[in-house]
Amino acid sequence: MNPDESKALVELKDVVKIYQQGNVEVHALRGLTFKVLTGEFSAICGPSGSGKTTALNMIGALDSPTSGSVVVEGRNLASLSRKTLSRIRRDRIGFVFQAYNLIPVLTAYENAEIVMSLQGKSQEERHARVMGLLDEVGLKEMAHRRPYELSGGQQQRVAIARAIASGPAVVLADEPTANVDSDTADKLLALMEKLNQDRGVTFIFSTHDPKVMARAKRIIRLVDGRIVDDKSWEAV
Amino acid sequence: MLATAVQDRNFADMIDLAARLGGGHVTLQHPEYLDRPTFSRTLLDTEKLSALALQDKEVKRAVTRIVGQTMLSTAADSCGAFFMAVDPNQEDISTLSLLEGLDKGRLFASSRDPGIIIGAGLAKKLDAGPGDKIVYTMTDKNGDIVSGLSRLSGIVRTGATSFDSIICLLPIDIIRESLGYMAKEAIQVALFIEDQRKSDEVALRLGSTLGAGTAALSWRETQPELAGFIAMKVGGAIFIEVLIAILVAAGIFNTLFVSVMERLREFGIMIAIGFSPARLFGLIMMESFWLGLVGLAAGAAITAGPYYYLVATGIDVSKMIGQDGAVVAGIAVSPVISVGIYTEHALFIAIAVFIATMLSGLYPAWRAGRVVPVETITVV
Repeated sequence: MNPDESKALVELKDVVKIYQQGNVEVHALRGLTFKVLTGEFSAICGPSGSGKTTALNMIGALDSPTSGSVVVEGRNLASLSRKTLSRIRRDRIGFVFQAYNLIPVLTAYENAEIVMSLQGKSQEERHARVMGLLDEVGLKEMAHRRPYELSGGQQQRVAIARAIASGPAVVLADEPTANVDSDTADKLLALMEKLNQDRGVTFIFSTHDPKVMARAKRIIRLVDGRIVDDKSWEAV
Repeated sequence: MLATAVQDRNFADMIDLAARLGGGHVTLQHPEYLDRPTFSRTLLDTEKLSALALQDKEVKRAVTRIVGQTMLSTAADSCGAFFMAVDPNQEDISTLSLLEGLDKGRLFASSRDPGIIIGAGLAKKLDAGPGDKIVYTMTDKNGDIVSGLSRLSGIVRTGATSFDSIICLLPIDIIRESLGYMAKEAIQVALFIEDQRKSDEVALRLGSTLGAGTAALSWRETQPELAGFIAMKVGGAIFIEVLIAILVAAGIFNTLFVSVMERLREFGIMIAIGFSPARLFGLIMMESFWLGLVGLAAGAAITAGPYYYLVATGIDVSKMIGQDGAVVAGIAVSPVISVGIYTEHALFIAIAVFIATMLSGLYPAWRAGRVVPVETITVV
């Protein structure tokens, strides 16, 4: 899907993030500025410690900048209450983590359903949507398995189903293929690509996997918390 | 719970036993008798008072008695004693526990039977056996010395040696005549109620019903030693129970806190996917709720068997304290430890444990809601 240039889904302006580690200040982000448009399939890449995950955490309202602003769908996250931020994470943002981070005591079905439960969707609606999504990610038959009964790739597919079950505006995927083998990584990428194209879900990855970068429509390259290269989708 | 059950049962037994040894759970007597006990401070119409007292729904039995000091003499020796003149037609073991300890002989055939029943210690002092003559001497209503002859009809052994050394029973009508009393006149009417905990309220109610000429006193007023002993024990037990409650709460807190700390990553994920801090707080409080509820149910299920065994059979500690048991505040306590908790005490403890569980969950729940996802969701 081609991104809609008129809609800046995410906008970072001069975002600085400094962590204090004892007496040492660690500059994770040094004045990051970029926009992500609705429908993009973008990758933030760079070496370890370049600030990829920190940038995703900022966009996902999991962390707040030391200075600068993060605007999601026109709302500056710094001005919002904890309750509103929770609601934004619930309704507008989906997360896919490197370590899958499924809730171990819940089945694949329950993991995918949980955010919809928080949204107050009806049982019927949840069931239809979750089973549809599990079918789409190829795990319909494993709906009642718990995470430990699934392979890494299967767990990550459940995580993708969970991320998009709530109908988010953007899915933030932090190194989504880092813990799976090459074939599985290909399949996961194909799945996310399909979701981007068919459903118009915006994806932002952090990665240093060349395979992921190769499929991204836009690559934002970070080094030491700064953007050193930003090849927009038009350039690609 | 067990400590309270032992305490409830033992104190109830002691109070009931004291009531059956003395003036009942509630005693009707002359208003000045408690401070200055003499044979001239009497109730003139005990029959009417008994009838009035029995109209109270809590009062189950009413018996008329004359109590006081006497001097007993045999051919061998003389000694002072405390006597209780009773009507054998009114008394049985539910009103007079001395009858349980009737070791030799029998109770009087009637209130005019010239017999006397004495404690085992007294019998030994007087060197008296069944059928022996015993002379009792006392001052009558007018302060004159009076005497009477009786024959030893029984010997009682209560287990409280000091009590057995002073107690004797006499037939009430014979003593009435000796003291110069009228037909229905006596020192006291002993009232017995189903639940000794209502003694105070019954005494208060009867005090206002019966008027100024009659005092209605609960066992606490007539047996201050026992009341003081129980109050002291209850106070100590409450202190211990509060300590135990704190330890229990600390244990529950530790369980919940460790459970939360072990799941910080899980909570971080939950916050990341849209759980609000309030919802996580509620989640842990709900866990506390179920922990409390299931803990109580499991506790009740596990202890039900042993509890009923202790209610029905008890634990015999006579090898440790002797066959006769211990004597507390003049009352012989059974050497068998039994339990029997009052419903309201059991409910109070259950509710207190439940509340302690909920309170113990507050901080872990707050902590769960304050989880910072970027700090807890780490790469595994």
